[in-house]
Amino acid sequence: MSDIQLNRRAFGRLLAAGAGAAALSACGSRGTPGPDTPLRISAINHVWSQAVRQRLPEFEETIGRRVSMQLLTADQLASSYNVKLNASATDIDVMMVRALQEQLLFARNGWLADLTGLVEGDAAFDWADFQEAPRDRSITRGKVLSVPVVTERPALYYRKDLVSSPPATLDALREEAFRLTSRDLFGYVGRGQRSGAVTQWSSFLYSFGGDFTTADGGSGIGSPEAVAAYRFYGELLDRAGPPGATNMSLEQAMPIFAQGKAAFYIDADAIYSNFLDPTISTVREQVGFAPFPAGPAGSKPHNIPSWSVGINAFSLLRDDAWRFIQWISGPRMVTELQAAGIPGARASAWADPATLAAFPAELAESMRINAANGIGHDRPEVIQVGRARDIVGRPLVAGIIGQDVAPVAAEAHAEFADFLVRDNRQQEF
Amino acid sequence: MSGFDRSHRRLRWLMLAPALGFVGLMIIFPLLFTLHLSFTDAFGAVNAGKGYDGGQNYLDALGDGRRFWPAVWRTVYFTVGAVVIETILGLAIAMLLRKPFRGMRVVRSVLMVPLLATPVAIGILWLLILDPTNGIANHLLGALGVPPQEFLGSVSQSLPVLMLIDVWQWTPMMALLLLAGLSTLPEEPEEAARVDGATSWQRFRHVILPGLWTTLMTALVLRAVDALKTFDILYATKGPGGGSDFEVETLNVYAYGLTFDYQEYGLAAAVLVLFTLFIVGVVVLLRRRSREASA
Amino acid sequence: MNRTLWTALRALAITVVCLIIAMPVVWMIAAAFKTNVQVTDPTVGLVFSPTLENFRTVLADGEIVRSLGNSALVGIVSTVLSALIAVPAAWAVGRFRMHSTGSLVLVARIVPAISLLVPWYYLFAQLGLVGSYTVLVLSHMFVSVPLILWIMIGFFEGLPIELEEAGHVDGLTAFGAFRRIALPLAAPGTATASVLAFIFSWNNFMFALILSDEDTKTMPVTLFNFISYASTDWGGLMAAATLMTLPVLVAAVLGQKYLVAGLTAGATKG
Repeated sequence: MSDIQLNRRAFGRLLAAGAGAAALSACGSRGTPGPDTPLRISAINHVWSQAVRQRLPEFEETIGRRVSMQLLTADQLASSYNVKLNASATDIDVMMVRALQEQLLFARNGWLADLTGLVEGDAAFDWADFQEAPRDRSITRGKVLSVPVVTERPALYYRKDLVSSPPATLDALREEAFRLTSRDLFGYVGRGQRSGAVTQWSSFLYSFGGDFTTADGGSGIGSPEAVAAYRFYGELLDRAGPPGATNMSLEQAMPIFAQGKAAFYIDADAIYSNFLDPTISTVREQVGFAPFPAGPAGSKPHNIPSWSVGINAFSLLRDDAWRFIQWISGPRMVTELQAAGIPGARASAWADPATLAAFPAELAESMRINAANGIGHDRPEVIQVGRARDIVGRPLVAGIIGQDVAPVAAEAHAEFADFLVRDNRQQEF
Repeated sequence: MSGFDRSHRRLRWLMLAPALGFVGLMIIFPLLFTLHLSFTDAFGAVNAGKGYDGGQNYLDALGDGRRFWPAVWRTVYFTVGAVVIETILGLAIAMLLRKPFRGMRVVRSVLMVPLLATPVAIGILWLLILDPTNGIANHLLGALGVPPQEFLGSVSQSLPVLMLIDVWQWTPMMALLLLAGLSTLPEEPEEAARVDGATSWQRFRHVILPGLWTTLMTALVLRAVDALKTFDILYATKGPGGGSDFEVETLNVYAYGLTFDYQEYGLAAAVLVLFTLFIVGVVVLLRRRSREASA
Repeated sequence: MNRTLWTALRALAITVVCLIIAMPVVWMIAAAFKTNVQVTDPTVGLVFSPTLENFRTVLADGEIVRSLGNSALVGIVSTVLSALIAVPAAWAVGRFRMHSTGSLVLVARIVPAISLLVPWYYLFAQLGLVGSYTVLVLSHMFVSVPLILWIMIGFFEGLPIELEEAGHVDGLTAFGAFRRIALPLAAPGTATASVLAFIFSWNNFMFALILSDEDTKTMPVTLFNFISYASTDWGGLMAAATLMTLPVLVAAVLGQKYLVAGLTAGATKG
């Protein structure tokens, strides 16, 4: 009895608090922020963000406002957007997003401010200078919602001391990897985690002649080409890869190559600097860089904007947020960052030989070739990317743990087809 | 009721109100919110639901043999496995430490380390130790002639390995609780049994264990609740997705994924409500058992 | 002979148990003194030439020092406020056997944290509290209040009621009896409960991850700075983890008797 009474009283107080809160928010706390309010940037813990952070004082001086930049891992960043933006929070101004992962969903939720007028209205910003593929991905339903800052293609990292020249085809890669596998060396290392592996596998899929979806929007992962790509990737990691490959994403796979325990490794080109860092790598002298090897359908790597910057639709500092984007993704800064080894999305920067001089010559060449052959997505282009990656990734895992891929792929194909129908229904907004 | 008690009646509510009010406030709004969400088709954002859906989320969850039910069984398997091992080992360690000895202080300090150390740091640490290629665990096993294990990289080994990490972390707590229980037992019944010629096993089984029952059941309830909700260590070692083959996807991990990766807020809320009811059920069951036993 | 053998066996068993429990933490501390290449090389065991480089980097990083400060601040404030409201409540529950009311404590422990975060943030955002220390302190209090309550109920139940009744006869008000008699007697228990509450606040990851921002972020969240997009700075990570664990280890050694009593409080009563 007393319990119930107490609960009721507590509930009454809750309602009172709620009413008070509403009153508070109505008068003032959502008004204009003072000059002491920092510009808040949520970012991924990435070399790009670290480079930007070092340059912040310069920007703080121009806007006369402090900038607070929070660096998080990709999962933490996604969770924090979820929690905060669901509450229409104003404590994020600039947000780093993945155009191919969150943008469609955030657009549907109305969480990203429309930048169309801003990017097109500023001649000095030169929106047309951005490479076409990344620029396209920044536009949802005709509105520019983000500006790409980091682009990514796969690179084949190999050991120059073990092979005289890098394999040019996937078949040759497999043959060499199997040949080099021994007690002390893995022929190949790569991502094997269900969701994390999907983006890297996409280049294999395209090079085998498949895609995630068919031209009419149905599931493409049941096609013979897709099944062959599943089988190839699974077998490669199963027979030549390290134990525990299904628990490996970028963070686990990269150190294995860096410590000289694998002959080949395919992953994002943006991470090459790790292999040249003496505190991480023991293969600084031996590492070689090559374009993505050709499959039955040629060499078709992805070429995507991995990270972009957008503005929180609830931000109270939208002007300063835009000035930040202007500053950080303007022609001058992109060239400067690219010269520091961070591949951006501006054509002018790519055309500037000075920016390419920062990269090892072989890598710069492989980036150029991959960019030319590149396909603009590396995961299914849907609203619910997380679930889609989980479905598409299952047959990969089956292959890696040595199961027969065909029945698992057939099952995933059916599940993915259902998923696409449901996802499509959510697309009406 | 004594006069002392009566004069305190008003005061005791005054003393209780701030704490109870605070915890109540912090918990009632989220509970109502979750309950409300669980009946909507909110997808993408919490306010994106188009109205009440008449319990469709509950039907979806309970009819889902691909993700929901396997998650239920994994939760049960993990909890029962970990808690049973922890209880048996904890009891053994408590008996081992029961008689005073030199160095007890040191041992007690050591026992507290796993449960006071930062869970996030511990999770990352185990990842380093159990790394299949670069970890010390396989190196040591190799020295003993055991072939390298995949541990957390293996689809079949992950859950048992995580159970063992949980055992490492929580057995000391169990031992400390049971040790405290042992210290409150009167010595006479045990002495009497000894005089009657009971073996040490008989004394343990028929004198010590019944005396320890209340402590044991309380410890079990606390541990079971925490084990059912295990999250930090699963997140730190297998990432947010519960592993490549969903091999460590327990109910908590599943609800987290539905919320933060899939943004299916309605379904996630329904799973959370079912999960909470499940924990309440376990607590009620264990408490009833303990009351029956002590009655 | 039999007896000596048993004693030896028991000593051996105790040693083995302690080694198993302590080894991972020892490994962590050792890793803190290794270079990154050494950390991931299993042939480098516990014998190597230690480097202080990791600690130097970590301590030179203003962010880590600030996070340690934030952790301490949030821990202390939330613990003090929790003790202020939980100790009187524990006295009421313990003295007047209001156990059904005390069960609310258990409810706080049962509810999965995931179901709290989104609604809390929503509520706090409406109140304009997010990104400040206030919200972190409130969330940590949600863990500390039940914990202190749980420990202190057992403690007050263990105090003989006659003392307070005597005070009542001597003309003390009901509250006076609590403040002048029960509270001083409960000081050691309160201290223990507070230290434990502080440690759990110090370790809390989930709430700080979501509710803090760059300026108020606590140490467990900052630990993840070492896990960047592509590479993990194992040496730095282990050094930071060691620094974080250090206060806890010191507490475990110095206050072991009281902390064990606090941790096991309530379990022996049922």
